[in-house]
Amino acid sequence: MSASALKSPRSAHELRRIITSQIGWALCGIGLLLVIAPLLDIVGVVAWRGLSAFSWHLFTENTTGPNGGLLNAIEGTLLITLFAMLIAIPLGVGAGIHLSEYGKNRLGSVIRFMSDTLTGTPSIVLGYFSYIVMIIGFGWGFSLIAAAITLAILIVPYLARITELSLQQVPNTMREAAYALGAKDSTVVFKVVLPAAASGVITGALLALAISVGETAPLIYTAGWSNYGWSGHFTHSPVGYLTYVIWTFIDQPDAKSHALAFAAAFLVMMVVLAINIGVRLTVRRTKFN
Amino acid sequence: MKLRPFRLAVLGLSLLIPAALCAVVLFLVIYSGQAIFFNGLHFLTQISWNLGDMYSDPVTVRGVQVPSGANYGILVFIVGTLASSAIAILIAVPLAMGAAIFLAEVVSPKIRPILSMLVELIAVVPSVVFGLWGIAVLVPLIGHYLAPNGSGYGLLAASIVLALMITPIIASTLLDALLQVPRENRESAFALGATHFEVVTKAMMPMVRTTLIGGIVLALGRALGETMAVLMVSGGGLNILPTSLFSPISTIASFVAGQLDSAQTDSTNMSVRALSEIALVLFFITLGVNACAKLLSTGALRVRKRA
Amino acid sequence: MMNLLRAGAAALAITAAVGAVQAKADTTSVPLVETGSSLLYPLFNLWVPAYTASHPGADITTTSTGSGAGIAQSLKGLVNIGASDAYLSDSMVKAHSNMLSIPLAIASQAINYNLPGITNLKLSGPILAGIYTGKITKWNDPAIAAANPGVTLPDHVIIPIHRLDGSGDTFIFTQYLSDSDASWGSTVKFGTSVSWPAVAGGLGANGNPGMVAAAKANPYSIAYIGVSFADQVAQAGLGQAELLNKAGNYVLPTEATISAAADSFANSTPADERVSMIFAPGAQAYPIVNYEYAIINTHQASGAVAKAVREFLTWAITEGNSMSFLKKVHFMPLPPAVVELSKAQIAKIK
Repeated sequence: MSASALKSPRSAHELRRIITSQIGWALCGIGLLLVIAPLLDIVGVVAWRGLSAFSWHLFTENTTGPNGGLLNAIEGTLLITLFAMLIAIPLGVGAGIHLSEYGKNRLGSVIRFMSDTLTGTPSIVLGYFSYIVMIIGFGWGFSLIAAAITLAILIVPYLARITELSLQQVPNTMREAAYALGAKDSTVVFKVVLPAAASGVITGALLALAISVGETAPLIYTAGWSNYGWSGHFTHSPVGYLTYVIWTFIDQPDAKSHALAFAAAFLVMMVVLAINIGVRLTVRRTKFN
Repeated sequence: MKLRPFRLAVLGLSLLIPAALCAVVLFLVIYSGQAIFFNGLHFLTQISWNLGDMYSDPVTVRGVQVPSGANYGILVFIVGTLASSAIAILIAVPLAMGAAIFLAEVVSPKIRPILSMLVELIAVVPSVVFGLWGIAVLVPLIGHYLAPNGSGYGLLAASIVLALMITPIIASTLLDALLQVPRENRESAFALGATHFEVVTKAMMPMVRTTLIGGIVLALGRALGETMAVLMVSGGGLNILPTSLFSPISTIASFVAGQLDSAQTDSTNMSVRALSEIALVLFFITLGVNACAKLLSTGALRVRKRA
Repeated sequence: MMNLLRAGAAALAITAAVGAVQAKADTTSVPLVETGSSLLYPLFNLWVPAYTASHPGADITTTSTGSGAGIAQSLKGLVNIGASDAYLSDSMVKAHSNMLSIPLAIASQAINYNLPGITNLKLSGPILAGIYTGKITKWNDPAIAAANPGVTLPDHVIIPIHRLDGSGDTFIFTQYLSDSDASWGSTVKFGTSVSWPAVAGGLGANGNPGMVAAAKANPYSIAYIGVSFADQVAQAGLGQAELLNKAGNYVLPTEATISAAADSFANSTPADERVSMIFAPGAQAYPIVNYEYAIINTHQASGAVAKAVREFLTWAITEGNSMSFLKKVHFMPLPPAVVELSKAQIAKIK
């Protein structure tokens, strides 16, 4: 392994040190294997059972009870995610702009701390909050908008911090040059800083998208569930989503439901992994976790 | 001073984050107020969670209406949460250390990004998929080979699933730190005649210890609040403290997710308020843990800069 | 990069717009949402396709969330029809006078066990109460042996499984225990969620499907499972227990024993139809028989919604009560007198 290990051992003591080292390396290797093997198993099991349940009617039929396809759930997941992103991107990017450009003060650190606190808040707490406040309190019922807002609360702080990080990587000389030309604050941000940091911000948005697609706990009591496609109403109309299928249908006793659960899990996992792998391959040097 | 509408606008947007957080906390505090008053400190120390007899008339206790026999104690869920997270940490830390050290020191820099990406990808797998895998693979394994009564649902299954979910957090934190250890520190340890493994354990690990602990605490924060995966494999223990690795448990988060609907059938609404109190407890536990992680990580930075 | 983002946003917006247009295409339909009882869920899944086929424009979502959720969500106006194996409590009716409990069919509940090699187990309320309070911990306990002469019972710990979610099955099961075992009746009592006594190794499961799955996965377990899952229970290789009824006979849930229990209530069901048929008298009466309720708010969102609810419920208790539907889930039709009571209640939905 290393230079010292290759020399012939001179004493029992040294031999023991070398053996200890070899055992140590072996244990570390086993550690890595034990970390990666479950991932491969999860992907393998979900892909195998998900793919064997695959057929075109998954994409063309609605769920009827525990049977049918996944069209309604796919559409619901897309819509919830879309509206969550529509709400979260302006808020998160705006907040990130403030933190990066004008937030190097006490207020900025307070916002940063609270933002991290919100990120660390268990998602079921947010789900509970939304249920009592929006679903019951505002009387919206299970609805697209409540689900989207709940997810947005979850991802805005995340987007804000990523935006902040990306904007900070833009050299200050660029800002100074723009201001020297007499540019306004908004011009500096939108024409100079944001375009320079675009890849970072888009990366953040994509990762946030991946989070939204995979969330379950905040949706159980906000989105509800529907066997049909979206009704076109933002309130008083429950929507289906893929992660619901995973967690409820695996509890059904029949093989058909299990197949649907695995097919849904396969879809969700593929989207999440594809986004994350794609992002990591394109932006290999930047770490956003 | 000149009025700057753009700055004000983005300031307004960023203030929405603290506003949302305050709204959540304030709501939880106000909504659970009556329950806090009714439960007192017994809430945290009692084993029995009893929604009360909803098919008889509510009774008035200490001035508030509750179903007769209602008693809200969450010790079982607190213990379930702490036990499953602690065991998860016990499993995850050695694995993560082994994986990170191996990646940092043995694997060639060419393959390292691929393997470290695989490790990081574990962290992004949705928790409901972990739960699905837990039900389909892990629970039958435990039930078949380990559990004395043949039931795989319980503390061990929950802990292993949690451990898998948090290992990458610890591993990638540690890997980053190890890769940042200055060349001189490594080389001077080699010069003293240390084996490569001794360089890692005796010279490098002490330098990154604070970062490692920061990563562990961060992972703990994630484990404590995890809902879906635990809900799916924990066996839903109620009214009884776990006595072995195979005992069914409930965690605070999984219990809130599982009980909200039952609570809604309480015409006095006290059980919903009690659930709100649970959510508040969970919030403060994770807040405390995450604040610790933050303190540790800023501390670590300072140490590294000085070194 | 910005172009990419724009293109992505446009694509998503188009998706949304298409969805909205699709939805608007049939504005005549009034979407109804049903949630609750997992015991009633399989029947709803038979009813809804048949009903929507003969009633164009009808659009009903069914979900299995447990009776507790059915009651709660109907109460909060989140769904139109709350399905429940349990009727509303007196205090609930007092607090919400606009809530109705309308029987749709007659169901029963089986006690199922996962005992390799044993298929003819006899159990009683006191034995079940002993198991679920942790007083009886092993299958070869003298109390179980006494009820099962000639059966070789295993020396193995019993794993009792109960429902985690608020459940009408829990309601009728604990009602049976309360009626047949005095100590259960005075301590744990009955409800859609009860405070389960501490039993080492006792498991919680979600919904009847979860109960079947958990009982199948755990040898030596026992579970109470709605009779609409009898086919899945049989497929899972679980046994069905003969239960001790009030007259002192051990009976299985069959058409004859369920009718024997329900018939005695045909003429004594009150106008609001909230009545327990548990532990009914009669030599052949099965002890866990119940009405399956629709929990309905008399004030629906609009006249059109109320009409749609009335039409569907009326169909359910008339055409929907034919054995071609009910037989598949092992339910029994409502007696004519009860159908009339349900119709009177349905008429109150405005």
